[in-house]
Amino acid sequence: MQFAFQQARPRADLSIFCAAASLLLLMAVSGCAGLTLSEQVDALRITDVMNEGDATRRASQRLLIEGLRADAAGAASAAKGKYERALQLDATNPYAYLVFARFELDRRNRDQAHAFLERAASLFDGEGSRSPRVEPHLLGMRGVIDGRGSGALEDARRMSPSVWGDGYLSAEELL
Amino acid sequence: MRFLFRFVAVLAFVFGVIASQWLLGLDQTVRGRFEGRQFRVASRVLSAPTILYPGLDVQRAGLRGQFLRLGYREHSAARGAKLELGRFSWSSSRVRAHLRPFQHPTRAEPARDIVLRIEDGVIQEIRELPRGREVGPVLVEPEQVGAFYGGDHEQRDLVRIDSVPRYLIDAILAVEDRRFESHHGIDPVRIFGAFLANLKAGGITQGGSTLTQQLVKNFFLTPERSYRRKATEAMMALLVEARYEKPEILQAYLNEIYLGQRGSTAIHGVGEAARFVFGKRVPDLTLGESALIAAIIQSPNRLSPHRNPEDATRRRDLVLELMLKQKRIDERQHERAVAEPLGVAAIAADPSDARYFLDLLRRQLPEVYDTAKLEAEGLRIYSTLDLRLQRAAAKALSTGLDLLEGEYPQLKTNDPAARLQGCIVAMRPQTGEILALVGGRDYGLSQFDRCAQARRQVGSVFKPFVYAAALEAERGERPVITLASFLDDEPLELDTPQGAWKPQNFDKEFHGRVPVREAIERSMNVAAARLGQEVGIPRVVNMARRLGIESPLPGVPSLALGTASLSPLEVARAFSTIAAGGTRPWPHAFEDVVAPEIGTLERRELRFEKVLDPGTAFLTTSLLAGVVERGTARRVRAMGLKGPIAGKTGTTDDEHDLWFAGFTPDLVAVVWIGFDQPRSIGVSSSRAAIPIWVRFIRDAVGTSVRGAFPKPSGIETLPIDPESGALAVSGCPRRQREHFLVGTEPETVCSWNGVRRRDPGDLGGGGDARRGRRRGILDWLRGR
Repeated sequence: MQFAFQQARPRADLSIFCAAASLLLLMAVSGCAGLTLSEQVDALRITDVMNEGDATRRASQRLLIEGLRADAAGAASAAKGKYERALQLDATNPYAYLVFARFELDRRNRDQAHAFLERAASLFDGEGSRSPRVEPHLLGMRGVIDGRGSGALEDARRMSPSVWGDGYLSAEELL
Repeated sequence: MRFLFRFVAVLAFVFGVIASQWLLGLDQTVRGRFEGRQFRVASRVLSAPTILYPGLDVQRAGLRGQFLRLGYREHSAARGAKLELGRFSWSSSRVRAHLRPFQHPTRAEPARDIVLRIEDGVIQEIRELPRGREVGPVLVEPEQVGAFYGGDHEQRDLVRIDSVPRYLIDAILAVEDRRFESHHGIDPVRIFGAFLANLKAGGITQGGSTLTQQLVKNFFLTPERSYRRKATEAMMALLVEARYEKPEILQAYLNEIYLGQRGSTAIHGVGEAARFVFGKRVPDLTLGESALIAAIIQSPNRLSPHRNPEDATRRRDLVLELMLKQKRIDERQHERAVAEPLGVAAIAADPSDARYFLDLLRRQLPEVYDTAKLEAEGLRIYSTLDLRLQRAAAKALSTGLDLLEGEYPQLKTNDPAARLQGCIVAMRPQTGEILALVGGRDYGLSQFDRCAQARRQVGSVFKPFVYAAALEAERGERPVITLASFLDDEPLELDTPQGAWKPQNFDKEFHGRVPVREAIERSMNVAAARLGQEVGIPRVVNMARRLGIESPLPGVPSLALGTASLSPLEVARAFSTIAAGGTRPWPHAFEDVVAPEIGTLERRELRFEKVLDPGTAFLTTSLLAGVVERGTARRVRAMGLKGPIAGKTGTTDDEHDLWFAGFTPDLVAVVWIGFDQPRSIGVSSSRAAIPIWVRFIRDAVGTSVRGAFPKPSGIETLPIDPESGALAVSGCPRRQREHFLVGTEPETVCSWNGVRRRDPGDLGGGGDARRGRRRGILDWLRGR
C-alpha cells in the first residue's frame, strides 16, 4: 500500500499541475476574448435595449416586449403576432430573431430555432451589438438545440446562472 | 250529369297531382337553398396592416388616405369630445382616430381611441384615450386589396340576426313590410292597397310584395313581370313562411338584399352596405344610418347617398317619419335622427392596381382553394402586400415608362397590345414577403404577369452569381478571387458546339488587367466570362441554384454573361439571399387564410435556409454597393438616394431587356423593361430601369435609406495597395481599405521598398485583423 501511495503522489502532483496549466491557458485564451467563462454576466433583457437604435428599431423593440408579455401570460398566438409585426417594422433587428428562436425552441422546433438563432448571431455580429450580455442566450439556446454534451448550455449556466441556471429561458427572462 | 261529375273529378285529380308535384318541386327548391349554403360570399384579400409608431412620417405613410379608404369619417371633434368609432380628426400637429378593432383569430387588436402628436409630419408620441397614457406601436386594420368574385361579381359581408340593431330591422320593416311579423308570406291588405294605388295612377307604381316575397324573388326567380312568376313567388313565400321562423327569413333577407354598386361590384346585404356607405360594422350603425340603409332599398342607385345625397336624405326622413308613425321610435329619437347629417364615408379611389398580385397569390394558394371555394366561402386572406409600396411601385412604373416613351418617341406604338412593357417586384429579403408587385402596364389589356410568369434574358444581372461563386472559399480552399484580385479583360475565344465564342464588352474595347471591383462596377463582359471559366460553369450554376434560381440554366460559357432567361421574381429571390447575408427566403404572398366562424385554415410560417456563408454574401454585397457608388448604377446616387444601396444593372444584347436589381438592408426590388415580342429598346438600363427603381424607393422609404449592410464575423478589413492588390503596410505609398474572408488576406505586402511576399507578422497591425482572430478564438471555444 505504501508503495502504491508513494507512486500515486507524484502522479497527483502532475495532474494538479496540468489542470492548473490548462485553467491558466483557458483563462488566458478567454481573456483575449475579453470574457472568461467563469465570469458571470447579467444576461440581456429586451427592456434594456428598448431605447436603442433609430425610431423604427425602438418601435420594433416595443412590439417584442409586448409579445414577450403576451408569451409570458400564455397567449402564444398573440405573442407570435407581435413578433411578426416587430419583424415587419425592422427585419434586421437581431433581438427579434433571438426572441423568435426562443419561441420556436419552446415549441421544440429545433430547426426553426436554429435558423433564427444563426440569423440573430449574424446580425449581432454585423451591427457590432454582440455584447457579452447577449452571449449567454446565444450559447444557452445553441446548447439546447445541440442537446446534451455540447457544453454550450453549461457555459451559459456558468455565465448567467440566474437566467440559465435551470437550462431554460422563459419569456419573462427576456423581458 | 254523371259524366260531367266524373270529368270534373278526373280533372280535379289530374290538377291535384300536377299541383302537388309543382308544390313539391317548389318546396324542394326552397329547402335546398335555405338548408344548404344560402350565399356565395367572395373571399377577400387584405393587405399587411399599417403600424403607427413614433418616428413614422405620416405623409409618406399616406395615413389620411388610408383612413378614408378604410371608410373612416373625418370629423372636427373638439379636444376632449367623444369621438365615435371609425372617425378621425386631422390637423398638422395632432391626429386623433378612434381605430376599429382588427378581428383575427390569433392577431386580434382591440378598438383604440388614439391621439398622435405630430411635428414636421412625423409622429412624436401616441397616447390612448380616455386615460391619455403613452402607448407603443399601434396597428391600423388591413385594407381590402381585392376579392375573388364569381361571375355575378357580388360582394357581401354576412351578418347574424342577433348582431343587427333593432332600429335597422324596424326601419326596414317600417318602409318595406310593416306587417312582416304577422303575415304568412303574402299580405292581402298590402296587395289591395297597392292595387288601389296603381288603379288610381293608371299604371304600376307600387308593389305589394312582402319581405318574404322579395327574398323569394331574389333567391329563386327572374325579374320577369308575369302572372305565372307572381303566382310562383306567392306560393314560394307561403312555403318559406310555413317552413322557417321569422328571424331566419329576416336574416336571409338582410344578407341578400341588393344595395348598390361599387364600380362593377354589386353590393348585397346590410353588412356590406354598412361598410360601403358608412365604413362601419352593422352593430355600430346609428338610427339615422339605419334609416338611410332602409331608405335606399327601393332604388339603390337612384337613391345612392354618394351620388344623390338630397334624394337619399328625403327618403331617409320618410323612413324615420314612418317609424315614428308606427311607434317604432319616439319623438326625441326621431328629431335627433333627422338632424343627423348623412355622414357618408368617402369613396377614396385607390391607385394601387394589385390585380397582378392577386393572381400571384391565387397561384400560391394550395390547390384546395379552388375557384369555387374562393368565390363562395367568404375567406379572409391576409396578404403580405404593403399597399403603400404597391402604390409607389405602380406609380413609378407607369411614370417611368411614360417618361421613357416621351424621351424616345420611337418606343411609342399605336397598338396597345404591343406597347413597351415593364414590371416591378419588391420583397423583404429576410422574410421573403412579397411587398409589392406590378406585372405590367395595364392589367385590363394584358393579365400576363411579367414579374412572375415571364422568363427573360437577364444579361449582366447574372454576374453577381459568378462573382459570388468566385469569392466563396470552398471546403477550406482559397477562393478563386478576393476583393483585392485582378481580372484579365483581354480577348477571349472559346470553342463551343455552336462554334467559336468571342465575348465583347459593351464599349467593344478590352481593358487589360483590371481590379475585381472595377470589372463588376463597369460590368465588363470579357473579365466576367474569364472568371466564369476559372470558377467553372457547374459551380456558377450551383451558386445560382443555391441563391434561389429555379429556371433552366444552360451550362455554357456565355451563362456567365447572363444568357439564361429568368423571371424577375426569382432574380428578386436570389438578390434577397445575398441581401439577407446568405439565407434564402421563400417568397410568399400571404400570411394566413381565415374562414369566418372556423378560424385559421392555412398559415405560411416564416422560413429561410442558410445557403451561403455570410462572409461571401457580404463581399458580394460590397461589390454591388460599388456598382451603385462608382459603376453602371451610379445614377442611383445622381438621383439623390443616400444610404446603403447595392445593385446591378443588366442590359441584354441588342437592348431587348433592361434590368435593375437593387437592394437596401431590408428591401429588394427588381425592375424589368422590354417588349413582349422582343425588339431593341435602344436605351441602357441605367437610363430606363434605374429611374423607375429610384422613384419607387424614394416614395417607399424616402431619400435616406436607413441601416447598414451588416458585416458578419469572419470578415476582416485591411489596408491594401490598390495597384498591386498587396497588403499595404507601413511605407506603402497608396492604400485603400478592403474586406476579406478571414484567412484569405493577400499573400503579398506593399511597403516602402515595393511588393514582397507576406511575413507572418504583417497582419499584426490591422485592428480588424485582430478582431477577426479574436472572434475565431471565441468560435473555437464554442465549438464552431
